[in-house]
Amino acid sequence: MVDTAVFRLEGVTKRYGDLVALNNATLEVGANEYLSFLGPSGSGKTTLLRVIAGFEAPESGRVHFEGRDITNVPAHERGIGFVFQNFALFPHLTVIQNVGFGLTHGKSGLSAAEVERRAVEMIELVGLSGMEGRGVDQISGGQRQRVALARTLAMKPKLVLLDEPLGALDANLRSRMRNELRAIRERLGVTFLHVTGSETEALAMGDRVVVLDRGTIIQTGTPGEVYDRPASPDVAHFLNRFNLFDGQLAKGSFTGAFGTAPAPRATRADRDVYAVRYDRVKVLPVSAKPEGPALKATFIASEYLGSSIMNFFDAGHGHPIEMEHHLSLGAPDIYEPRQDYLLTWNPEQAIVFGREAV
Amino acid sequence: MTSTVTIQQRQSKVTRWLLIPGIVWMSLFLVVPIAMIVYVSFWTQTTFNISSDPTLASWKQFFTSDTYTGSLWTTIRIWLIVLATTFIVGYPTALFVGLFVKSKTLSTVLLVVCVIPFWTSFLIRVLAWRPMLGKEGAINIVLLHLGIIQQPIEVLLFTELSVIIGMTQIYCVFMVGPIAFMLSRIDRNIIEAARDLGAGFGRIFWKIIFPLSLPGVVVGAIFVSVMVLGEFATSGALSGRKVNLLGNIIVTQVGSLKWAMASVVGVVLTIVMGIVIAGFLRIVDLKREL
Repeated sequence: MVDTAVFRLEGVTKRYGDLVALNNATLEVGANEYLSFLGPSGSGKTTLLRVIAGFEAPESGRVHFEGRDITNVPAHERGIGFVFQNFALFPHLTVIQNVGFGLTHGKSGLSAAEVERRAVEMIELVGLSGMEGRGVDQISGGQRQRVALARTLAMKPKLVLLDEPLGALDANLRSRMRNELRAIRERLGVTFLHVTGSETEALAMGDRVVVLDRGTIIQTGTPGEVYDRPASPDVAHFLNRFNLFDGQLAKGSFTGAFGTAPAPRATRADRDVYAVRYDRVKVLPVSAKPEGPALKATFIASEYLGSSIMNFFDAGHGHPIEMEHHLSLGAPDIYEPRQDYLLTWNPEQAIVFGREAV
Repeated sequence: MTSTVTIQQRQSKVTRWLLIPGIVWMSLFLVVPIAMIVYVSFWTQTTFNISSDPTLASWKQFFTSDTYTGSLWTTIRIWLIVLATTFIVGYPTALFVGLFVKSKTLSTVLLVVCVIPFWTSFLIRVLAWRPMLGKEGAINIVLLHLGIIQQPIEVLLFTELSVIIGMTQIYCVFMVGPIAFMLSRIDRNIIEAARDLGAGFGRIFWKIIFPLSLPGVVVGAIFVSVMVLGEFATSGALSGRKVNLLGNIIVTQVGSLKWAMASVVGVVLTIVMGIVIAGFLRIVDLKREL
């Protein structure tokens, strides 16, 4: 898929005083790709986007776009579109004036009629036909999001940067806009870089996911790769899909709160962590004698999620353990609050990180 | 349902109680006095006396006398000039304080600096211009010493110019404040978005920043207009009685107990202010903006 790198970052570093917002970030992005950047707030993902857009200049490193070094090219000459987190629409202009703003006031050199034709075309593309004359305070949040997108796309950028574009929308709208964004991108064949703090969004939308932590890119891969083989305990943590146990990795087995479990394939990391996916955990009565690792925990509560049920356990010392039951696998067992249960899993399915690993 | 009604009733009762002080205050000190002024303007004035016999004499006198109509036009001319100068000086200041200064603390400090002259009394601020602008004032001394001029500039003090300079200095801050406030509320991302879309500084200013600051300009203009139209002290102190605004006429008329004429001028002034404010409010929908 990544045959022609449209866009390349080489060792980009950005500091704000003592704070290193971006540390030696290197990245290649292909044409017609959807890339999502995942990281907690303060991980540098927005800074990365702003450096790419040209709103911030990096201290060191180069930014290449379409075979050109654009590190010192001002934002509006880069041909890169930016969709702001809060949409940043012009509040005193109508929908069509917003969409046509760049064409009218930039260096497009288009006639008024051409500007209008293209603006109408973009409004149609994002599904807002009939709303051209509305003020942007007269439309809903989802519609504003579409206007922001149309305004950026009207400039025909080769690369579109989206800064938490769905963050300001409610949950319902968010999942609808997710599909919409992908559909629009596929129709135009433009590369999208999408920054998000939501692991679901990152995994759902990206052809590839880039995970950032404290200014450093800690993993790049397809959603499947990132999900199945997180590169570090931090990635596993951000994915919000794993129960993490501290402990010690020694001679191919991991010792933690659950006892000792075999850990033949460990990933090298700066600390020893044992990760078990929520949906790999099995619940047994406290009297059971399971073969693998086992951990006594108190059932707290459950949460119904539609297609699955999340059960929350407390393994003592405030260590919460989550267990997900997919309802397609059958009706859920009913657990008694404040009762003890035995949690177990197949050690083959666990992911182990450790200093000792190769 | 019953409970909803009682809550509504209780609320409307509370509303009434909250409204009473305002209504009483406004009636006693605004509605009644204005009605009184309008009424007195039709009274019959003799040299030493005034009677409530209705007459149009004072009104006729106002509109036929060059002194009075001239003062009306002077008031309007000075108002327009001061409005323009406060805007020309105030807008760039507000642009700097409200938009270019990124730190909120610094912009607050700068606004406070603008207000420092108000720590002294109005009259002192006005009179302080005399030693500045006078024939042997600071400006002339400096210019003479630098050899830029050979003769002191006399046009600086006791002319319309000195009134305009004084008023511009005093009222400029009322223009700066509201504009800076509106500018500081502009989302910086909007400006960045406009730049990203390829608009240059001029376009961004005229198409984005200025329209969004317009409510501030209107509020500032209303402040300045109301104060300048009712002015009498600055013109009295800095014009050497050469510039007579409607405010000065009222002061002299009241001083010589010509209540009827003072009332006529008062009514004219109130009408002019009403028209000006109504005109400004047509420019923007302040209800929506604030």
